[in-house]
Amino acid sequence: MSATTTATITATPPPGRLASGFKRLRYDGALAPILAFVIFFAVYLAINPGLLTRFQLQSAANLIVPLALIALGQLLIVLTGGIDISIGAITGLCNVVFATQIAGLSTPGALILCVATGIVCGAINGSLVAYANLPAIAVTLATAFIYAALARLILDRPGGALTDGIYKVTSGELLPFVPVSLVWLTLIAVGLWMFLQRTAFGRQVYGVGSGRAAVQSAGLKPRLTILVTFMVSGAVVSFGAIMLAGSTLTGDPRSGDSYLLSSIAVVALSGAAFIGGRGSILGTILSAAVLGMVGSLLFFAGINSYWQYVISALIILAVVVIPRLIQFGIRQSALRRGPA
Amino acid sequence: MSGAPSAVNGQLEAPPVAKDQRSVFAKIASRMPRAGWGLLIFVVLFIVGGLLRPSLFTLPGLISTATFAAILAAASFGQTVAVIQGGIDLSVPSTIAFAALGFLTWNASFGPVIAFVLALGAGVVIGLANGIIVAKIGLTPIVTTIAMNGLLFGLLLLNFPLSELTVVPDFVKSFTSDRLEIFGVSVAAVLPTVLILMVVLQAVLSYTGWGRSLFLVGSREKAARLAGQPVARIRITGYALSGLLAAFTGIVIVGYFSQAETTMGNSYLLGSVAAVIVGGASMFGGRGSMTGTFVGALVLGQVATLVAVFNLGADIQNLVYGVIILAVLAAYGRDRYAA
Repeated sequence: MSATTTATITATPPPGRLASGFKRLRYDGALAPILAFVIFFAVYLAINPGLLTRFQLQSAANLIVPLALIALGQLLIVLTGGIDISIGAITGLCNVVFATQIAGLSTPGALILCVATGIVCGAINGSLVAYANLPAIAVTLATAFIYAALARLILDRPGGALTDGIYKVTSGELLPFVPVSLVWLTLIAVGLWMFLQRTAFGRQVYGVGSGRAAVQSAGLKPRLTILVTFMVSGAVVSFGAIMLAGSTLTGDPRSGDSYLLSSIAVVALSGAAFIGGRGSILGTILSAAVLGMVGSLLFFAGINSYWQYVISALIILAVVVIPRLIQFGIRQSALRRGPA
Repeated sequence: MSGAPSAVNGQLEAPPVAKDQRSVFAKIASRMPRAGWGLLIFVVLFIVGGLLRPSLFTLPGLISTATFAAILAAASFGQTVAVIQGGIDLSVPSTIAFAALGFLTWNASFGPVIAFVLALGAGVVIGLANGIIVAKIGLTPIVTTIAMNGLLFGLLLLNFPLSELTVVPDFVKSFTSDRLEIFGVSVAAVLPTVLILMVVLQAVLSYTGWGRSLFLVGSREKAARLAGQPVARIRITGYALSGLLAAFTGIVIVGYFSQAETTMGNSYLLGSVAAVIVGGASMFGGRGSMTGTFVGALVLGQVATLVAVFNLGADIQNLVYGVIILAVLAAYGRDRYAA
């Protein structure tokens, strides 16, 4: 399949950027979540047109951005065919490191230390997965216990020394019209997109997930790719932890706990394949927006907010299952028609 | 490794046709069942605890650890079934809470026995739904069970908003918190209950066609399909059994601790997977045992006991859990790629 597409691209003039981008999104399973986001957003605006006001847009963005960043970290691991159970613990650890170190070091120092923490956490996971041949799910389960313990040793109850300045820069009213957190998310997402889609190394990340043996045979280094992917994932997660710390203005070792399940849920909704090799950044961000705003949609609709868990699960099942059922139906009807 | 006889042996005695050159330790180690390593860790921890604090090195000390481990083991048996078939069941926490709160609610209106059956039935239905989505629609087990966990959590909050415990029926107490005298030792009934459950489940895995098929499906799904095994049916019944066991655990927890709330199962999300891994199962599927899982739970339980006795706090406990899991993984976690 891929051989024929590359052949056509080299032989004939390449298709338009829009067409190839669309094809890419469809391959990565992002069409269904994009559609889901459009429908969800329309319903949300119909129920609560006030979303587009400055204050509401900002609070919605502050809810979505940490989830989107942490889910992007999870997406990177899923692209290589793994899964990161320790992602919530890394979030908590980075959050605590940032919130406590900001007192002693200046803000840039705390920022660097926090991102370095995320990268080191990812490097530990990645080296165990890539070079010790251990299953990612088991390794990250073990490190989840360890990172969570470290976070609680650094700061055992919510606290830290975050200032209003941090809030303003990460999630406040730094810029006119646009919530600043969305700007940060856009910058990181575009950087990640450039890394994955426009560098040779980024294509290897997809390659390791869809055919590790082929990547190996091509003379590339799948182990190094996995290690670096885990490190990049750790860095992205640490940015999520900073945004989380900035928007809540507290450092909390338990702040990351809920992101373990929700980051996997977001990646599932984005249509990424958990065997690896398929997944889209745009789909992940829009999925995070959908799952992040279910709760507030119910609030504005006057429905018991406990329904958000049920509705989120049903959205995931619907968005992931319906395309599969359609494919199944197409295959069945093709079988009935017999060989053409 | 096992190849030609060594020169020294050849001179001293007539060697057998193929003499194993490995050291005695390596030979014993290679024949040791995987659960043996977990048991070894447990014995070491038990002796270390006994040396530091002699009061731990007693039968009651052992029994109190085993009782704690029994409840974790019960939660992990279902996880073992899911892991053997190459999947995972992350809906365990909410299934536990759903069965527990459902049991208490239904107990008030239908009496204990019907409530017991209904709660277990709910677990089976949850497992069947997981299994059908995984096996028939082909969704990843992680995603399916996380979505199911969220769905159940929502249903829990909506249907059983505040379930402060009233009274646990005697019927449930009889197999959980009642004290039994076995060979003159006082034991909470939950320990023999879980041990019997372990033996029954291990027998099902080892000696029934369904049990053997489960391992085949877990290690080589294509081979199972080609051999004419009903792969989907085996997977679905596996998840149903996992749901049933999680529901049973919920009732056991209610009986033993006399309390239930919506988040009561949360510590079993990672705890059950940890016990399964320490028990020697492979996350790639096709390997694992109920006895191993019980030993895994014993190891984690002994760590918890030591941490509690020396007042080190939950942080150190989690740290040690992580290190033990990594150690166990390093010992035998990498079969699939190495092969």
